[in-house]
Amino acid sequence: MPDPIKLRATVKGNEGEVRVLMPHPMESGLRHDPSGQLIPAHYIVSVVLSLNGRPVIEGALGTAVSANPLFAFQLEGVKAGDRLAVSWVDNKGQRGSAEGVFSAA
Amino acid sequence: MMQKGRRDFLQAFGNATLVAGVLGAGLLKPGSARAVEFNRAAFDAKTAADALRLIGAAGAEASRDILLKVPEVAENGAAVPIEVVSQIPGTTRLSVLVDKNPFPLALQFNFAAGATPRFQAKLKMAETSRLRIVASAAGRHYTIFRDVRVTVGGCGE
Repeated sequence: MPDPIKLRATVKGNEGEVRVLMPHPMESGLRHDPSGQLIPAHYIVSVVLSLNGRPVIEGALGTAVSANPLFAFQLEGVKAGDRLAVSWVDNKGQRGSAEGVFSAA
Repeated sequence: MMQKGRRDFLQAFGNATLVAGVLGAGLLKPGSARAVEFNRAAFDAKTAADALRLIGAAGAEASRDILLKVPEVAENGAAVPIEVVSQIPGTTRLSVLVDKNPFPLALQFNFAAGATPRFQAKLKMAETSRLRIVASAAGRHYTIFRDVRVTVGGCGE
């Protein structure tokens, strides 16, 4: 299992700022290990960010997103206590998810 | 070291294509993370022109209302930080392409009501390349690009 997602959700005024770090190798399938063996592609293909259960941002990723993807987003009309959820699926069908609550900055 | 990287890169093409094919055939489903309506085939495109065509943005018009923050010189091609903001009203999608990557389409985000069309991310850049952003709003496409110099590439090793 990969390390847990790190999620930070803060509110300033009615704007919500989200930072999410998803530990994942994001292997492009183009690299070789020290013995010369090709390392198979292994990367997140889909990310969904939900606010109070409603998807607000959906992402499609290719192999050019860096390892351990770190994203920042901005939501509007957010107040402290609102629930945030993030989930991902990779090309091997593995999944990860995390939930958080917006807090005042 | 750069030489070796380049060779591995080229050798690896076959395998990457195979994996992409499996994905494209729908054998690996995104599942409960909801169906994301993206054209996965665009992520398999090997040229920016093909990728743009597959995301429906071949005729994107240049716009000054997309803000793109990226270093002019990226010392580490494995993690090039970018920040994108669209000030085009009604922007529902932002797409990122790195022209000279083996697969130029890097990522796409859809923004529903309540989400500001802006984000920060980190990209792999194989070599010095043009970086393109496409903003989609009400069925129209707008674009901006920037050339980024990469001193150490970030795809093959």
